[in-house]
Amino acid sequence: MSRLLLFYRLMVRPLFREPARTGLIVLAVALGVAVVLAIDLAGNAATGSFRSSLETLAGDNQLEIAASGGVPEDVVEKVASLPYAVRISPRIEDYAVVADTKKSLPLIGLDFVAQAGAFVDNSPNASQAEVQESSAKAFEHVVDNGSIWVGSSLGYKPGDRIQLLINDQVHEFSVRGVYLDANGNESAIVMDIAAAQHALTRYGRVDRILLKVPPKPSVEEWIARIRPALPVGMEVRPQGAGTNENRRMLAAFRWNLRLLSYISLVVGAFLIYNSISVSVVRRRPDIGIVRALGASRAAILAAFVGEAASFGLAGALIGIPLGRFMASGAVKLMSATVEALYVSSRPGSIELDAASIFLALAIGVGVALLSAYSPAREAALVSPVEAMARGRREYDVRMHKGRDLLLALALGIAAAIASRAPAVSGKPLFGYLATLLLVAASALAIPGVVSAATSATSKIIQSLLGVEAMLASRSLAASLRRTSVLVAALSTAVAMMTAVGIMVGSFRQSVVLWMSNQLPADLYLRPAGSPAADRHPTISPGLADEIAKLPGVVAVERLRAYEIRYQGMPATLASADLNVLDVIRWYPHSEFLSGRPQQRVLPELRHSNAVVVSEPFSYKHHLKAGEFITLSLGETQAVFHIADVYYDYSSERGSILMDRNTMLRYLPDPAPSNLAIYLSPGSNPEAVRAEIEKATAGHRVLVFSNRDLRTEAVRIFDRTFAITYALEAVAVVVAVMGIAGALLALVIDRRRELGLLRFLGAASGQIRKLILVEAGLLGLLANLVGLLLGFALSLILIFVINKQSFGWTIRFHWPAAILLGAITVVYAATVLAGLYPAQMAMRLNPLEVIHEE
Amino acid sequence: MPILLLQDVSKDYLTDGQRVPALCGLSLQVERGEFVALVGRSGCGKSTLLNLSAAMDFPTSGQVFLDGVSTSSLKDADLTQLRREKVGFIFQSFQLLHTLKVFENVELPLLLAGKPGAREAARERLSSVELDGLGDRFPHQLSGGQMQRVAIARALIHSPGLLLADEPTGNLDTTTGNVILELLKRLTREKNTATVMATHSLEAAALASTIVRLRDGKIEEVIRR
Repeated sequence: MSRLLLFYRLMVRPLFREPARTGLIVLAVALGVAVVLAIDLAGNAATGSFRSSLETLAGDNQLEIAASGGVPEDVVEKVASLPYAVRISPRIEDYAVVADTKKSLPLIGLDFVAQAGAFVDNSPNASQAEVQESSAKAFEHVVDNGSIWVGSSLGYKPGDRIQLLINDQVHEFSVRGVYLDANGNESAIVMDIAAAQHALTRYGRVDRILLKVPPKPSVEEWIARIRPALPVGMEVRPQGAGTNENRRMLAAFRWNLRLLSYISLVVGAFLIYNSISVSVVRRRPDIGIVRALGASRAAILAAFVGEAASFGLAGALIGIPLGRFMASGAVKLMSATVEALYVSSRPGSIELDAASIFLALAIGVGVALLSAYSPAREAALVSPVEAMARGRREYDVRMHKGRDLLLALALGIAAAIASRAPAVSGKPLFGYLATLLLVAASALAIPGVVSAATSATSKIIQSLLGVEAMLASRSLAASLRRTSVLVAALSTAVAMMTAVGIMVGSFRQSVVLWMSNQLPADLYLRPAGSPAADRHPTISPGLADEIAKLPGVVAVERLRAYEIRYQGMPATLASADLNVLDVIRWYPHSEFLSGRPQQRVLPELRHSNAVVVSEPFSYKHHLKAGEFITLSLGETQAVFHIADVYYDYSSERGSILMDRNTMLRYLPDPAPSNLAIYLSPGSNPEAVRAEIEKATAGHRVLVFSNRDLRTEAVRIFDRTFAITYALEAVAVVVAVMGIAGALLALVIDRRRELGLLRFLGAASGQIRKLILVEAGLLGLLANLVGLLLGFALSLILIFVINKQSFGWTIRFHWPAAILLGAITVVYAATVLAGLYPAQMAMRLNPLEVIHEE
Repeated sequence: MPILLLQDVSKDYLTDGQRVPALCGLSLQVERGEFVALVGRSGCGKSTLLNLSAAMDFPTSGQVFLDGVSTSSLKDADLTQLRREKVGFIFQSFQLLHTLKVFENVELPLLLAGKPGAREAARERLSSVELDGLGDRFPHQLSGGQMQRVAIARALIHSPGLLLADEPTGNLDTTTGNVILELLKRLTREKNTATVMATHSLEAAALASTIVRLRDGKIEEVIRR
């Protein structure tokens, strides 16, 4: 107890004497903790608790049968004829858009006759009169193609009429009942399987057959028993395997975002380190006195570690509610990205449970303890006599500059070596290690850089900005330890901002260049409704022919996409109408990794079992041009030659592209997913577009001009990366707050000197200028080091981490204007951070401070 | 016109809501070339008198004239200007900036005032305090006596009419202290500067041309020689 009292008196109470500085450090830690917590909570909500929307009403089935392009209906009979007590639930699964709200919902077709009992059992709340009533009437309408059941949260009542956009057609349905969309169920449109097949014009096939098998033998044994009875191309696997595959696919996305969220913590760690170092230097005489009065080294160590833990604990306690609040915004951004790049899903609720709170506390206190240990240990090692010797601390740093520079060089070399290492279990662990090593190398090199820069520029600065600048420059060089840590903190934030800025800018530029090659048609047409990476609604087959007849249209290319699984991972199987190759305007740049032009590669696919695969697909499955892949298509397994690998930035899932005629041989559904429309030279695109819209009246389709599509793609891209910019911004805010706090400490520590300057004739404006120039010099050094470090980090991000995580080749590009703007904002923020300390310095009473000693 | 004139000056401080008088109705006149020693016990008002004389603080009542200008009538910028031109200050603990070399410390007042020729003036002042050749050293490379000489050179760099010294020998041994006092006396004479020195030491006071004995914020005795 007495020790706690002493700790409070000697360590905690002094913190309250500088509330602004203490507050800034606590807030910096709080922001760091909040960002990590927010990304974790939002990640859990958007992807971590990921459960495919199509698993709605999947019930207690253990197995599922699936196939690319759907499972033929006769498979249901084959399985039913097996001598096992297996419950069979065939399903149609797709998406529909509610016409008035534009809300996209899973569309589930269930065999009501076979499983009405199970479905009704899933609506267990007896107090829900509507549910009961709808359950009782379920059988009345099972063969009615206009009947649907909806989740209770959608707010419809039995008897309501509802218009649904399914593929490119609007259908009207009657709500026959509602089911409780809680307890793991999501809102969906449910209808009888025959009605769903009719609405989707998907006859003779179902999307999955769910199986409930007896508890014994094991699921694996049941798979082994059922598999031989299935036609070629059918896969039997544990139910929900797709969800697990999707979760695995999202792992890299979550992992990279989580690591980005740690940047603010790293910056916060620098600031705590600085704060405790300052505390140790300031309290050297106190340490001497307390040690002389009998305090042990361990007690001194504990006191300073305890001070850091107080910062960490206070920061975490503020960071937890802040993180919960930030998670609400983050989950929206993350869900949009998941939907655009990966898979249809809806975010779950954000759950701040005990584990998350414990994690936040552990992170806050843990980072504080780790960053404070070195200065605290140093304080403990000081002898009482030595503690009275002022200035030795800075001397130590000057003495080690050379050694630190050598160490920085060694770490830089180690980073270069680590960046050459391959991924570990699909994770770019050595890439991350390389970035950490580079950040550490930079931090070690900074004392030397600051010292060299200030001594080399002292005279120039004085002639440019006056004597105040010279004093500021000398002050920074004199407090080398403190200056270096501040420059390290801010430069780390600037470096990550620069690196991510270059990476995203390069990625964006690569996408823009790629699109200019990828989108040769003048107009594009797709079904209305919100797009997602794994949804491929179709267009009525005859529409393409009608459009082809319109004046001004030279050719219509029918593109079709299917959602398939390859080697346990989701992928997109697409086909293009290579008959239109004659009218395609070939672009000069190759889209293929081999560098071969399109006009040589694409004809190789015509009418043959040859495909081209996207770069992410090739990377994920370690496949190269010239190799072969086996695909399960419909009721066959076919071997395809990989003619080449193409650049593709539209999705990370990976795609396989073949000739439309080849695809139709295996999957005979002629309905295309998209149309690419080529116009004759000299025709007016707007006039043709109007004609197309007239011809497609009655179909819910959207027509985009080439430019519209590019603009939309860039908009989606920018939205996707909005969260990374937000994370960078927080890191920079943390760093700038740290600078403000450190400048406050600097003013307090140098009050005698500032008072003396007033005695020597300095005007109060000159004192303000001195502090502002100091802030400006700190910002300048940090920005310069940050830009250099950021450039190096961007190379690792682009060519190592991105490549090993997602498989994309990104062409390096300097987003000069954006970077310049960002750096200017950071610099201005750093100088502004000096305003309050400068005002405080101006208000110091020189008489009081000069006579303190 | 006296370089420093205090007319019926009183100064009170508020400490925890209590009024504590530091100077009570004090009047004093100091002419150029005069070397004044302020003596008295701790808390008698020596430092307050120096601060008022330096225009770093203002009287509660009465007036302080610096070379004929009332300090109470000036704004902050004008006061800064007045200090730059008229006043030099020497402290007991030297108060040198350890990040600056000797030359840079000495020329600092001229640089802050934006005046040209600072380096030449610093060289000349260092020579006058017998520190030729030490301009490129840092303060921590000097002895205590040398540091105080640097402080004196700095205080005189802009040829002030009034040199204020607060216990200038308080941190020095007797021999070095005497050397510093002799130096101050010589410079006062050579530069025709008025020096006002607060000191506890009667030996130091003995070197002054005028001794002002303070007690409880009032002048108890003035001895002119």
